[in-house]
Amino acid sequence: MHPLTAIWIKNWNTLRNVRRILQQESIFKTVFILLFAAGIMGGFFMMFLNGFQFLASLGGAGFMITRRLFSLFFLGLGAMLVMSNIITSYSTLFRSRETLFLLTAPLDTRTFVTYKFIESTLLSSWAFFFLMIPFTTAYAWHEKLGLIFAVWTVLFSLPFVFLCGAIGSLISLAAVRWFPRSRFVWGAAAIILLSFAIRAILQIRPVMQEEATFILNRFLPGLQLATHPLMPNNWTAEGIMALTNGQWLRGGMLWLVLVTNTAMLFLLIQEFGRRVFYTAYQQVTGSPDIRRRASELLGWLDRLLAFLPHDIRGMIMKDIRSFLRDPLQWSQALIFFGLLGLYFSSFRSFHYNEMPPIWRNLIVFLNIFSVSSVICSLAARFVFPQLSLEGHSFWILGLAPTGMRRILLTKFFLASLAMVTISAALMGLATWMLQAGSALSLISIGLAVAISLSVSALSTGLGALFIDLKQPNPVAIISGFGGTLNLVLSLGMMLGAILPFGLIWHWRASEGLADSLLIKANLIAGLWVILLSSLMVSLPLWLGIRSLKNREY
Amino acid sequence: MISIQHLNKRFGSVQAVNDLSLEIPAGELFCFLGPNGAGKTTTIKMMTGLLRPDSGTIRIGGFDIQKQPVEAKRIMGYIPDMPFLYEKLTPVEFLKFVAGLYNVAHPDLSGHIESSLSQFGLQEARNALIGELSHGMRQRLLYIATFIHAPRVIFIDEPLIGLDPHSIRMIKNLLRAKVRDGMTILLTTHILALAEDIADRIGIISGGRLIALGKLGDLRTQSGDKGSLEDIFLNLTASPTPQTLNPEP
Repeated sequence: MHPLTAIWIKNWNTLRNVRRILQQESIFKTVFILLFAAGIMGGFFMMFLNGFQFLASLGGAGFMITRRLFSLFFLGLGAMLVMSNIITSYSTLFRSRETLFLLTAPLDTRTFVTYKFIESTLLSSWAFFFLMIPFTTAYAWHEKLGLIFAVWTVLFSLPFVFLCGAIGSLISLAAVRWFPRSRFVWGAAAIILLSFAIRAILQIRPVMQEEATFILNRFLPGLQLATHPLMPNNWTAEGIMALTNGQWLRGGMLWLVLVTNTAMLFLLIQEFGRRVFYTAYQQVTGSPDIRRRASELLGWLDRLLAFLPHDIRGMIMKDIRSFLRDPLQWSQALIFFGLLGLYFSSFRSFHYNEMPPIWRNLIVFLNIFSVSSVICSLAARFVFPQLSLEGHSFWILGLAPTGMRRILLTKFFLASLAMVTISAALMGLATWMLQAGSALSLISIGLAVAISLSVSALSTGLGALFIDLKQPNPVAIISGFGGTLNLVLSLGMMLGAILPFGLIWHWRASEGLADSLLIKANLIAGLWVILLSSLMVSLPLWLGIRSLKNREY
Repeated sequence: MISIQHLNKRFGSVQAVNDLSLEIPAGELFCFLGPNGAGKTTTIKMMTGLLRPDSGTIRIGGFDIQKQPVEAKRIMGYIPDMPFLYEKLTPVEFLKFVAGLYNVAHPDLSGHIESSLSQFGLQEARNALIGELSHGMRQRLLYIATFIHAPRVIFIDEPLIGLDPHSIRMIKNLLRAKVRDGMTILLTTHILALAEDIADRIGIISGGRLIALGKLGDLRTQSGDKGSLEDIFLNLTASPTPQTLNPEP
């Protein structure tokens, strides 16, 4: 039996056993998660469908945008896949405990790298399909395309996913092989790479183009890159369209171009992996020079926090140091902020600040929604699993002469401090860039603070309620029932806080609400947000403390 | 069966293994002793191909682990101190997976697995997931998995961690039986009584250097200490610059 066959049989058995475990768990839990996923996909579908309908209402320009939007969409998904695969490849190739096991088996490096490449691509591609399915379904619905459109989409998507995955894995292998182990260099390299990608998307200017295309490119940054004939996303988008329209020769040619390039990258990753993996692995696993490492990371911060009680200071410093020393954690945070950078840099490109007040008002609230969504995601990803990630060392906290209440509140305060700082700064920057005015800026920042406090408490409290000390993988922790419930409630709180203000200001912009009424309405909405966030802060924390106190370890 | 020549490994400014040379013939149970951080695990990791030496060569059954890694790994097995097992597989699935990885051509693999599970007292756990097994059961499963391809050389890092007295006795008897059948075993341990009990030869490593090598009697003679292995070990490794007993190559 070829070792790869043995590995696939093992994976199949694992999947079967996981399904068996899920069947034994509560049906309510499974149904809840499935409904939530379906709800999100349905929401995306409606959003995309409304977008296509809006574009259709614009006439000729809308049609031009719609065609190009397909390429732009696949460019965005492709970039996301590459980024995601850089991280996933690093963890599956170098950090997974399975790697150690397989490296002592008689497996040649080429086979090992092939398996790990396929594994990391499959692991990082779920989000691609999660977004791609509602987008293409909405397009097919809007354009009244038959089921065959789905077949062409799948036919092109699969090689596209592996092509992007291969680029990500190649970058990951090369980065580990040739970059020094210093995390500073790693971080700096990632930021520089990201900056270049953003600049490439935003600043590519065509040499010659029609006036309409020039205007489109001005309003849709990255369009020129997305529709470049050498870009794989363009082969994918154009190929799907060509086959859907019955242009068999062109569609077939584009599919072959995509498949042959993917196959070439597949061979490249096998050969490149065979040559560099072992050396790269040595660089990752070789014990660091402990004599050069400072005995205390951020010692100055420790001294700065001397005014805090010893136990609280100790817990805060332990959490900060553990976070900074875990590349998987902070590299994902880096991606969050990279995407935010892309989002903010688009403000000027889209010329929002030159738009009429009603549009600007709408965009300000969409911005509050976007930044708050990022805060909810950050809390779900980093705050919720923090207690579970204490893992086997939780007994140290449990035995310490400090109560569970104190432990949980310390975690909450640290998370809140980080969340409030990030969200208030982001919101302030965004409203300033949009020239939103002082009243709206104040409301935006106030909402950011309220939402940050609420989701921090919610994530900390539910993290304690659904604590899983046996699970070392944060992704597995957040994708369980507790993590999903936390995300649903966080998004619900966010909507509950933003919508009243959004409606009031939309009313004012469209109907001309009088100033005196506006002030009263804002005060009522503000009171509602205070009440809501007080409840969202106190209830989950109380439940979390009670659960930790009553729990047996 | 195991041949190490002038092995060196450095981590930054720390010399983890320093000019180590060692020959272990077939059918010998060799015990590697040393204080924490002496270089035992680093040496084993180099022997199994997990770490690349800075210089020196390692041959397992005649195969150079750096130049012919697949051939060398085909005839060896490794049991680390903190082993990885697939938690979402049953013992039978895991053993079949390992058999597939090593391309085991057993005429009755299923029967062989069943008898091994029975021999190691894991018959009743055959349908459980590995994640549900106790530490001792996992260790026993790992021994079955390691022996499934009938390796000629076994490396074991701390073989008795977390095992109950019954399992310890079983593992000790098993290792001795395998050595009688011609298998070569290199194990590291901090339990000096275990080394005294089952080792054919003992090597003591300190500061990355092999400072003593031989049978227990030889070590007593060389050190001039007529006491237990514990006394010899403590005397040799107590000082910051440990004394060397001119170990045989």
